[in-house]
Amino acid sequence: MMDRFLLRLPGARPMLAALAALALARAAAVIGQAWMLACAIDGLRAGGALADAAWHMAGFFACFLARQGVAFVQDVALSRYAAARAAQLRRGLLARVFEEGPALVGRLGTGGAVTLALEGVEQVETYLRLILPKMACVVVVPLALLAFVFPFDWVSGLIMLVVFPFIVFYMVFLGKVAKAEAGKQQQEFKRLANHFVDTLRGIDTLKLFGRGKQQGADIWESSERFRRATMKTMRTAILSGTVLDLFSTFSLAAVAIMLGFRLVDGSIAFFPALLVLVLVPEYFKPIREFASDYHASLDGKTALAALVPLAMPEADEAGADADGGEGAGALAGGSGDREADGVAGRCPAWSESCVLEARGVSFDYGERRALADASFAVRGFSKVGIVGMSGSGKSTLVNLLSGFAAPAAGSFFAAETRPGDGAAAAGAAPVSLGDPSWQRQLVYIPQDPYLFHATLRENVAFYQPGADDAAVARAVAAAGLEELVAVLPQGLDTPIGEGARALSGGQAQRIALARAFLDEGRRILLFDEPTAHLDIETELELKERMLPLMEGRLVFFATHRLHWLDDMDLVLVLEDGRVAEAGEPRALLAAGGALARLVDRMEGGCR
Amino acid sequence: MSRRESAPLWRRDRWVKPFFKQYRKALAAALALGVATFVFAAALMFTSGYLISGAPLVVTVLALNVPLGLVRLFGVGKPFLQYFERLASHDWVLRMTSALRLRLYRAVEAEALSPRAKRRTGDVLGLLAEDIGHLQNLYLRTLFPLVIAGVLYLVLVAATGVLSPWLGLAILGVLGLGAVAAPLASVLANAAREARRKQLRTGLYDQLADNVLGVADWVFSQRGADYLAAHERAQERIRAEQRRIERFDRWRDLAAQATFGAVVVVLLAWAGTRFGGLPDGGSNWVAAFALGFFPLIEAFAPLPAAVQEASAYRGSIERLNALPEPADDEPGIDGDGGAPQPQRPLDIVIADATFRYPGTDTDVLRGLSLSIPFGQKVAVLGRSGAGKSTLAALIRGDARLQAGSVSLGGVPCAALGDGMARYLGVIQQRTYLFNAPLLDNLRIGRPDATREEVADALRRVGLAGLLERLPEGLDTYAGEAGARFSGGERHRIALARVLLQGAPVVLLDEPFAALDPVTERELLDTLLDVFADRTLILVTHHLQGVSRMDRVVFLGEGGVKLDGAPADLERESAFYRRLLALDAGMAAR
Repeated sequence: MMDRFLLRLPGARPMLAALAALALARAAAVIGQAWMLACAIDGLRAGGALADAAWHMAGFFACFLARQGVAFVQDVALSRYAAARAAQLRRGLLARVFEEGPALVGRLGTGGAVTLALEGVEQVETYLRLILPKMACVVVVPLALLAFVFPFDWVSGLIMLVVFPFIVFYMVFLGKVAKAEAGKQQQEFKRLANHFVDTLRGIDTLKLFGRGKQQGADIWESSERFRRATMKTMRTAILSGTVLDLFSTFSLAAVAIMLGFRLVDGSIAFFPALLVLVLVPEYFKPIREFASDYHASLDGKTALAALVPLAMPEADEAGADADGGEGAGALAGGSGDREADGVAGRCPAWSESCVLEARGVSFDYGERRALADASFAVRGFSKVGIVGMSGSGKSTLVNLLSGFAAPAAGSFFAAETRPGDGAAAAGAAPVSLGDPSWQRQLVYIPQDPYLFHATLRENVAFYQPGADDAAVARAVAAAGLEELVAVLPQGLDTPIGEGARALSGGQAQRIALARAFLDEGRRILLFDEPTAHLDIETELELKERMLPLMEGRLVFFATHRLHWLDDMDLVLVLEDGRVAEAGEPRALLAAGGALARLVDRMEGGCR
Repeated sequence: MSRRESAPLWRRDRWVKPFFKQYRKALAAALALGVATFVFAAALMFTSGYLISGAPLVVTVLALNVPLGLVRLFGVGKPFLQYFERLASHDWVLRMTSALRLRLYRAVEAEALSPRAKRRTGDVLGLLAEDIGHLQNLYLRTLFPLVIAGVLYLVLVAATGVLSPWLGLAILGVLGLGAVAAPLASVLANAAREARRKQLRTGLYDQLADNVLGVADWVFSQRGADYLAAHERAQERIRAEQRRIERFDRWRDLAAQATFGAVVVVLLAWAGTRFGGLPDGGSNWVAAFALGFFPLIEAFAPLPAAVQEASAYRGSIERLNALPEPADDEPGIDGDGGAPQPQRPLDIVIADATFRYPGTDTDVLRGLSLSIPFGQKVAVLGRSGAGKSTLAALIRGDARLQAGSVSLGGVPCAALGDGMARYLGVIQQRTYLFNAPLLDNLRIGRPDATREEVADALRRVGLAGLLERLPEGLDTYAGEAGARFSGGERHRIALARVLLQGAPVVLLDEPFAALDPVTERELLDTLLDVFADRTLILVTHHLQGVSRMDRVVFLGEGGVKLDGAPADLERESAFYRRLLALDAGMAAR
């Protein structure tokens, strides 16, 4: 029931203390309200004038309002506190997302990251607002009321005292059974919902196989099956709430009956009896509120457990020591790599005389070694092709070069050399390619360049938001986008991207090229299969635009479209996660090694 | 359309209202139980108050038998009523959910595959499915409590009105402030704010998703901090709206609670003057009336928040209502009954086909004519936008032409409906696998296929090794959207699926786009082998393997640009030779 992450949030303990004080105030108001009400009833019942009871009635009303006032103050304080913690978590998470980029997003999933940052944080906010005051009330209010009731009537006090542990016992032990039951139900519900979405997403496939109509009946069938199963388990699952209710109404009835008997034999006076009776429901109210919001707050609890390790590592570590670290940080893993990189040096501004060298670079995906002991060196503005079958380590190498992944072993070295130093960056310090000094020189053009939901101009000028019209126009012309601009209704200012105007794959590539043309300062190009999915005529046109861009830049070009090799100075041939060959493409082909084997397999005697 | 749009949502709704009529008895039972629960809770306090007021006045306990019995009855009865109320309302809501799911499915199914329909991404579909969940909440958290509280309010006013018209009027007025006016004021004051907040939030969601998708570019541009600052500013605007809503909520709750306190005072004052000092236990009623109202506060207090929450579901209802109305019966679509039968040989004949997408002013196809005799292997090429996908949709019968005709075996393709699946197997660019056992995924085309037949199909498409590796063989789940299998494996599973389906014509719509050349070549080998005796239409974007087809068709400018056997084209067309040379690159050397 207790959430270890909760108390680790900054200011959680003072907040709880304040809430406990407010709970005490609530108890006082409740007692005052009951006292005044009992006085008024006592007076009126005995035939007292309404005017005489008026003061007590006014007192009752004042206490009734005071109690709402406590809730009011509590809400103001909590709203502020929960919003502040939510904002803190969100900022922490987003800062990491936009700093670490695709590595973290890949682990969380795009949808996962967005949902966690918005919905997850909101759920935490709701959770804090629901659970903190209830935690305070469930302890303070019953204790205070019990302490008050005992001196008046120990019998009722005893009934209340005896029932309470039963309720707690019930909530903890039997509640667990019900919770497991409800959890199973929840899972089943999720499964059904996923199945439903799965069916909707695959609806094209169903229809292509002539099963579109048939599947509707299946959906109805499984949904109804779920309903019958749910109702069966619900019969037992919601019993927990019923039993809780039963305890409280039962003890109210018991208190009333016991009071009745003793009033008959005169062993208790009317006023204390009434006072106690009025207080009994208030005694059980906090725990009923706690139970009713418990399920509503479960999402928030889960979200908090996911967010703290990611967004508030300091709070996480503080607790991990105390709890022996339950591995809650598993999702956050990988942050350590980057810290280790911190010691590596910066990259020089890339020029004709710079050298980048990989020495024994390796990378693993979990158990699987994706790249082993890769060593190569590239110099100045050379064009480097990267080829290999799928699974050969091509994408891994591109990932390492982009800086979004750090080598598990080995290092990259980069340095500016004097003429005659040779190819190797001898004596150079290791560099981290995740460092801004490398990444800000880089243009990365993947198979599907991402287009932001913004105007065409904003997309083109993404790296150079301040670029003037003339520069943008030059870049647009260089990338061959003029035709597109001419047909767009608002030219360069037409919104594009998801949900706006859909562009073809070739057009998206041109926009990525225009970005690169516009930012003259970026001298390193990293292409990852840029034309694999384009039709051959479009590829031909794009190639004419890309070749000029490659002049005067260091180019890495991962592809399985072999015609590009004609334009490369150097080719790295990957085979099973190793650099099998590196050299001038024609020479390699003539030598009949790995490259020749690869070409042979791809063609496979087709022609 | 615009007229329908402007009508109030409640008037034109086709998704929430109809279900009130369904299972009417179950609904009435659930609501009655809900009312009874509160009546019992109030009665428990009422009789308890009466009991202890009366006790000091009687000589023996026997005289208290009736109130004692009632206290026991109400004390035990209330939790059980509540238990059955929860069961009944959930059962009703789940029944409704089944119906809503079916309805949503039908609506989405009605426009699937049609090229004029907007593409609904997985996210949008997920959202629609969630909307149904929101409707559940609308019933359970807003509509039911509202109806129950309304009934209680009327019962209370009527009951007190019978005792004393003035008391009835007073309750009508004072309680009306808390139970009717407060929710109304809430909607008036906060609905617009809620709508604004929701709008801001949706905008922020889209914006964040957009930028997280493009996060790599933010990292390269080193401008991540700019975005974070902009995001925080947007969050602050939402928070400001939220603060205004909350401030109103707090004052509203305080005011509503004050009216509940006032109701207690009114009841007490009335009971005090009416019963105070009466002999023979008459005065017992004072405490009964004063205490009886307290449990009812729990029925009225949550109303304003519940009503306000309902306004958040507006978007869900709007979204569902924006879906096309599913047609209940489409004659002739179900294939068997009365559908026309294509005649053998199953030639495909496209004559003078003209097609344009609605809302655009250029024809994608302009008088295109093409015949594909049964058994021919045809590659269809062309740049994006040249009409390759449109051609595929026409052959499937999923697109309606502006002019011209498309027929299979003499029958217009569009007339075949679901029956088309018996003649045409389709492999799409992205193979969708359901998160179900592999067996079920493969049996889609032929539900009565035996396990042996399915395993045999897998072997024929070169997946014998995969089948052996799978932990549970054919019963292994495919994972979300088939995530368990690689791109190449998914394509082969799609082949096996179509192989089992046994359709004589196979249409492949850019099936290799995401594969590497080695996988692509191997897949093509398999394809030509297993579909040797069928018509094969391969829509593709490059030339690999094209030389192994009988015929190559280039689309362009709305019609057929180039058409012939690959060997002839290589001899006669300079354009084709140029593309071949590019495709081959250095490998041709």
